[in-house]
Amino acid sequence: MAASLTPEDLDETQRAAIEELLFRMADDEYVQGERLIEWQIYAPTLESDLALANIAQDEFGHARLWYDLLEELGHTEAELIWERPADEFKHTTLVELPFEEGDWADVIVRCYLFDSAERLRLESLVDTSYAPLADRVGKALSEERYHLENAQSWLDRLTDGDSLEHVQDALERLFPHALSLFGEPEYEAEIVENGFRTDAIDDLRVEWLETVIPYLESLGLNVPDPDDAERPTPRGRDGTHTEHWDELAADFRKTYNELEAPEPARIGRERA
Amino acid sequence: MDLETVKERAGPRQFAPKDDMPEKYRKAATRMIQFHANSEVMGGYLEKPFIRQAPSIDRKLAFSAKVQDEIGHAQLLYRAAESLGIKTREEMLDELANGEGKFLNCFHYPMESWHEVPMIAFFVDGAAMHRQATLKNTSWTPYAHAMDKVCFEEGFHVKHGESILSELMNGSKATQEKTQEAFELWWPRIIQFFGPTNDKSVHNDFAQQVGLKTKSNDELRDTFLDTYVPKAEKYGLEIPEYPRIEYDEAEETYHVNEDDLDWDEFWTIAKNDSEGSHEQIGSRAHAQAAVEWVRESMDSWEQASNTGTPQAAD
Amino acid sequence: MIWEVFRQEKSGGYHKHCGNVHAPDRELALQFAAIQHGRRMKTHSLWVAPQREIGEIDADEMSFGGMTDKTYRWATSYTDIEPAAPEVAESEAEQADVEHSLEADS
Repeated sequence: MAASLTPEDLDETQRAAIEELLFRMADDEYVQGERLIEWQIYAPTLESDLALANIAQDEFGHARLWYDLLEELGHTEAELIWERPADEFKHTTLVELPFEEGDWADVIVRCYLFDSAERLRLESLVDTSYAPLADRVGKALSEERYHLENAQSWLDRLTDGDSLEHVQDALERLFPHALSLFGEPEYEAEIVENGFRTDAIDDLRVEWLETVIPYLESLGLNVPDPDDAERPTPRGRDGTHTEHWDELAADFRKTYNELEAPEPARIGRERA
Repeated sequence: MDLETVKERAGPRQFAPKDDMPEKYRKAATRMIQFHANSEVMGGYLEKPFIRQAPSIDRKLAFSAKVQDEIGHAQLLYRAAESLGIKTREEMLDELANGEGKFLNCFHYPMESWHEVPMIAFFVDGAAMHRQATLKNTSWTPYAHAMDKVCFEEGFHVKHGESILSELMNGSKATQEKTQEAFELWWPRIIQFFGPTNDKSVHNDFAQQVGLKTKSNDELRDTFLDTYVPKAEKYGLEIPEYPRIEYDEAEETYHVNEDDLDWDEFWTIAKNDSEGSHEQIGSRAHAQAAVEWVRESMDSWEQASNTGTPQAAD
Repeated sequence: MIWEVFRQEKSGGYHKHCGNVHAPDRELALQFAAIQHGRRMKTHSLWVAPQREIGEIDADEMSFGGMTDKTYRWATSYTDIEPAAPEVAESEAEQADVEHSLEADS
């Protein structure tokens, strides 16, 4: 089915459904980017620093793709990023966790879990009925491919010797948080019925588990049982977050608040 | 090649790794390029917090791209320095971590607020670019090649910095005042970027004789002032009374009265001995040590994958 | 074995790939390359490298420079700012050339 729906076509429920879909995507990417930049200057080598910085920029860029679509629906950058109450952010708790100093295994495992889910999510949007989204999915997907390859290259190498233990630790800590990636949205029925996403979230979850578990096990890692894992109480998707999120939000809003809410500058592109 | 021949042949892109260069040349070039590379890393270090703290998503992206470029420049420069055969990149990065590696005076000071950002991102980057453009004609070819790429990228940095300055100086009165305060704090440091006067500089003569440098500290400082003093004024920044800067009508250039600058502070910093030096070198060193296990893991992976592969015969 | 050959036209320039030769080792590869690739074209230096040691990644596998909007990393995007100095203008002009060639390909 060709994407045909435009913002003007949406009734109230459809609009709420598409917004929920977009907020999750945008917030996931934004917060993932916000954590990844912590590795700039601090990555193990200059080359890996450059590569990770690029991935961080891609994630911010993807966040901007989806925030722009929310702007088309009447929101503003000021409201979306700079003034929205922290408990209205819908990202998975996986992306908000701080890094322990030097824990390169964390960043690699986190990127792998996130990027593999991100690829499935984007693929389920390739044939979306929402026209503005359809235009943008392919671009994001092409960049995600590199992210996933880079994460897997690192995983293959870091699980080869003594560093396996670091990777195992990171996996045990992060996997329960990653399970919230596929938590059911409030408007799931509308999202699927209207063809905004062509796969049900539960199917994506199953597909993701069937992809990541065998791969990680093939590297000699023990993956926690998804049905049995001790899940953290905050789930992210419903606006509940770990204690780290408020601190992170305050940090990235420091200048914005200091300058008393300046109009967020755009560079080389028009305001939506 | 003996030193006399080097001095005779000295010119743009004259010498390459295949040439048999005297040790004095190789050491001087290593010192200069290593200093440059270290400065890229430490400049990036200083700007890194502002990726997170930038007040718009486009500025955040630009800042991340800029800090990424600085690391990219460090990568190019350490390679150019390695090609002299004196030190490996690993040795140079270790020297930076343990406090032996030297870098630009401006990157020894803490930078705490967004109002200070354009002092580095516009004025210091503008100064750096002003110098780097002349280094495209350095005599060490790998250094010149690195400068081709660095100068290609750097135009974005300077314009990005100027765009931030422009936004601040068009902001509220309080914002403009804080930006002026930041300017007054940084201005003497920016002028000292070009180092001491020619007669006090230890390395300047030799570096010019063998073509590593093509312009003296004084020439670079004066021409920088010619461009950037009017720029600062255009945005409504007031040039501080000290250090005194005078326009020489006859030579049509600005001169700074160098006795007005704090050279004790400059030389303390040059020895990595200020509070900021300790803090900034130390925390970067800490971060570098924390990922040592990853580099070790990559080294053993490399060794394992090299055994069994037949090496190309010589 | 096959050796890839890179030629530098004049001192201080870049070595650019110009072809290859068959040779059993590096010494002969250099001697053969000097004739095959250096006898007519202006040459100051040649490099040889074993072909099997050369890796490749191309545009089918990788979208170099990314697919999403990256205008923030180009000097040309800061349209309200005039270049502060000649060296800034020169950098911007070089970037504009690259941007044009990227646009022409897309």
